[in-house]
Amino acid sequence: MTALTVNGEERASRSGPMTPLLDVLREEFFLTGAKAVCREGFCGACTVHLDGEPVASCLVPLGAAAGREVRTVEALAAGGLSRLQQAMEDHDAVQCGMCFPGMLMTLTDFLRHTPAPTRAEVKAALAGNICRCTGYERIVDAALDAARSA
Amino acid sequence: MPDPAAATMDLPRRDARDKLQGRTRYTVDRGGAGTLQAVLLRAEVASARILRLDTAKARSMPGVRAIVTAEDAPGRHGIGIADHPLFATGCVRYDGEPLAAVAAETLEQAEAAAAAIAVELEPLPAVIEMAQALTPDAPLVHPDWRDYEVLLAGAARAGNVAWEATVVRGDVDAAFARADVTIVDSVFRVGRQNHLSFEPRAVVASYEDGRFHIETSTQVPWSVRATTAKLLGIAPSQVRVTVPAVGGGFGLKFDCALEPFAALLARASGRPVKLVNSRREEMLTCLCRENAEIRIRSAVTAEGEIVGREAVVLMDCGAYGGEQIFLTTMTAHTLGGNYRLGAVRLASRAVYTNTAPNGAFRACNGVYNTFALERHTDEICAAIGMDRLAFRRRNVLGDGDLGATGQVFEGDVLGPMLDKMVALRAEKPSRAPRAEGRLHGRASVVGTWFVFVGPSAATVNLNPDGSATLVTSGVEIGSGSMVQALPQIVAAELGLKPEDVVVRTADTDAAGYDVGVGGGRTTVSLGAASTAACVEVRRKMLKVAADMLETAPEDLVLAKGRVEIVGIPGSGVTIAEIAARAQSLTGPISGSGAFTGPGVAAMPGCAAGHFIEALDIPVFAVHDCEVAVDPDTGHVEVLAYTVVQDVGRALNRRAIAGQIQGGVVQGLGYALHEEMSIGPDGRILQSGLETYRVPLAEDVVPVEIHLHEGAPSIGPLGVKGAGEVPILNVGAAIACAVADATGRRVQELPLTPPRVLALLREREGPLELAHIAKDWREKVLG
Repeated sequence: MTALTVNGEERASRSGPMTPLLDVLREEFFLTGAKAVCREGFCGACTVHLDGEPVASCLVPLGAAAGREVRTVEALAAGGLSRLQQAMEDHDAVQCGMCFPGMLMTLTDFLRHTPAPTRAEVKAALAGNICRCTGYERIVDAALDAARSA
Repeated sequence: MPDPAAATMDLPRRDARDKLQGRTRYTVDRGGAGTLQAVLLRAEVASARILRLDTAKARSMPGVRAIVTAEDAPGRHGIGIADHPLFATGCVRYDGEPLAAVAAETLEQAEAAAAAIAVELEPLPAVIEMAQALTPDAPLVHPDWRDYEVLLAGAARAGNVAWEATVVRGDVDAAFARADVTIVDSVFRVGRQNHLSFEPRAVVASYEDGRFHIETSTQVPWSVRATTAKLLGIAPSQVRVTVPAVGGGFGLKFDCALEPFAALLARASGRPVKLVNSRREEMLTCLCRENAEIRIRSAVTAEGEIVGREAVVLMDCGAYGGEQIFLTTMTAHTLGGNYRLGAVRLASRAVYTNTAPNGAFRACNGVYNTFALERHTDEICAAIGMDRLAFRRRNVLGDGDLGATGQVFEGDVLGPMLDKMVALRAEKPSRAPRAEGRLHGRASVVGTWFVFVGPSAATVNLNPDGSATLVTSGVEIGSGSMVQALPQIVAAELGLKPEDVVVRTADTDAAGYDVGVGGGRTTVSLGAASTAACVEVRRKMLKVAADMLETAPEDLVLAKGRVEIVGIPGSGVTIAEIAARAQSLTGPISGSGAFTGPGVAAMPGCAAGHFIEALDIPVFAVHDCEVAVDPDTGHVEVLAYTVVQDVGRALNRRAIAGQIQGGVVQGLGYALHEEMSIGPDGRILQSGLETYRVPLAEDVVPVEIHLHEGAPSIGPLGVKGAGEVPILNVGAAIACAVADATGRRVQELPLTPPRVLALLREREGPLELAHIAKDWREKVLG
């Protein structure tokens, strides 16, 4: 068994240590917010926070997450949407929605480190998150709004 | 008839909050305890005879619950021709074709069993490129093509030409023989484009009480129902299809896909079965926008009149006909669109090759035909020395003009849209200074596409709490039609708030037939069917209210959840009271509605092999873009992008703008760097996102968007679909702008840096397509 903290709760996984963290979250803990899209670390849809840092959970073996804290998109809204989530809704940014769990985890971390970003900085921060529906600009608008309202 | 303004608003998406919290359960997130995991065994050769397929050892492996093969699925399906079996049958026709399907307790067990299936294949000669497929002695991808069931008569077919659609209107030879014309001859080539929907094709199937329940990521629940039944040899009524939120479609899911495999495995095992394509499978067997080759010739007078046009389009359908058979129809309306033409003859040929089948992708072949037509138009302008905008303004289709098939267009739409773009260009300074030493180019291009109508059904139930439930087979693929446009329409019709309209997700057991979500048709066709259902509901409501208020139904209006006597606010009753009263007196109020395309007239006898002869709802777009081309690297940067789009009536401007931004960016990928290539062995070389480059946030610009309202449309409240067409002109706009910047003849997409550099340095001669004959009679069957 591998012990780790998931969204503030101590959990233990039966999976082997080489199992991708993404599969443990989705298949074992039924946290299906993070998505398996490319499984190669390019798309960003499986991004979660590991000890507070965004990582592609498809590339993290469970063994490397042992004893560490994992936070997923399911934990972003605590008693209401986060400012960033609310900005995404207000801007009508969502379309198919598959990329948003990863986008939000990346941007949440980015805005914590860069509270007053430029447009170019937000776009650079999204270099590892692909969206196939929206053409990005509204996601960027929403992130800038969330930063301004912070 | 309610005030259209009541339906017009920026309604937020009701599905956004769950999608933002990771709570939405797409098909890939489904399949509970007890669900088996399935995989497909796929061939890894482009063409071969199947000598042996032995599953005995695999069947006895741990955890294996069912294995199915071609023996379990005897039927063939297709569009126009039933040429496509579920499994490779007798021979393999493309690299990636399914040979067997395995269901086991775990994915690893299923994969292990699939690997243990003994397969003996004898390689056969393969045809990989269309030029090769069209040679007289080419091996036939379908040697038995004559024996296939023909589902739509009238098209010419022969050998590797799966389908040929032609249009002949007027005397083209005479037009080209005129002494006063310049003849411009152009050829173009484009590659494939992968949809890369984030949710792959995925299905969970079960078999209970003699019926199949298929939960699937599709745009076409009724096609899945029909095709699954045809392939399994059962009645369609034995198949129920339901569709959760779909994680992106873009046309990829406009066809039955994995569903029959999962259905067979569910029946064989007696357990629910989940089957999901890996990203690699999606890359190698995606129903891509097809690669195509185009020759287009025009005879044009010095004044800029197009007196004759002739074109041939070769569309690679891959190993099976699929959507390309239907899409041959569209050449008439794209290469034959945009401009007034004298005489015209056009041929589109779907060509079989031993490669993965292609399919539908947002604005389908319109995207590359518009690229070809607009680049050809610029070549015409260069040849006759006419300004590119002036030529377009002179020739774009207007009120009363004839389309290629003789359809009469209504209203002046493209002309005023072009005027708007010219005015927008004049308002803002050119971004040329931002090119900073690079080559600056600019182009404004026009495009003609259509809203795909066809049958839709809707039921509206009025509930005693004053809400309404809309039941259709519509699917929410991300475009917002089901969560924005449809509740807005129903609410306006019934005097409710859109929040009080419940929208049932697609279930073929609950709702009537629908063509599917695609072709920009949801708001139009499902909207029209929903409107018709609301008319019945409103009539029943007003009758009950008239009795309650002791007045005539004509004196009543519906608004804000109430029925009021005209001119006396507060005089009436709530809709909830009406619904409750009706329920006790006459039974619950409901209404049903239906819609289909009316079938606009074409000129008899000029089109052959066409699925539709005229456009019920033409839709137009004008795009303008500025680019900077780096002369040292060939990199193209988009500096600015502006869209004027014909939307009929905009119900939700914000949602439409989201579709336009997203559609343009998908088009930028197609135009600049999304390249699928096929190796000499017939395998697609891009197996993932490392090699297939889609646009990232830093590649894109905010699109300046202007909606053109008021063009004629048979859609409810005058709407036209707005989600499909934004991608139509993008390849054309980029190609024409790059040609403008470089002074070179752009004949191919995508314009990757190496390709642009080769153009700039004139490394290769012009593209020639020798296999498309210059003589019309040598290049058509019919």
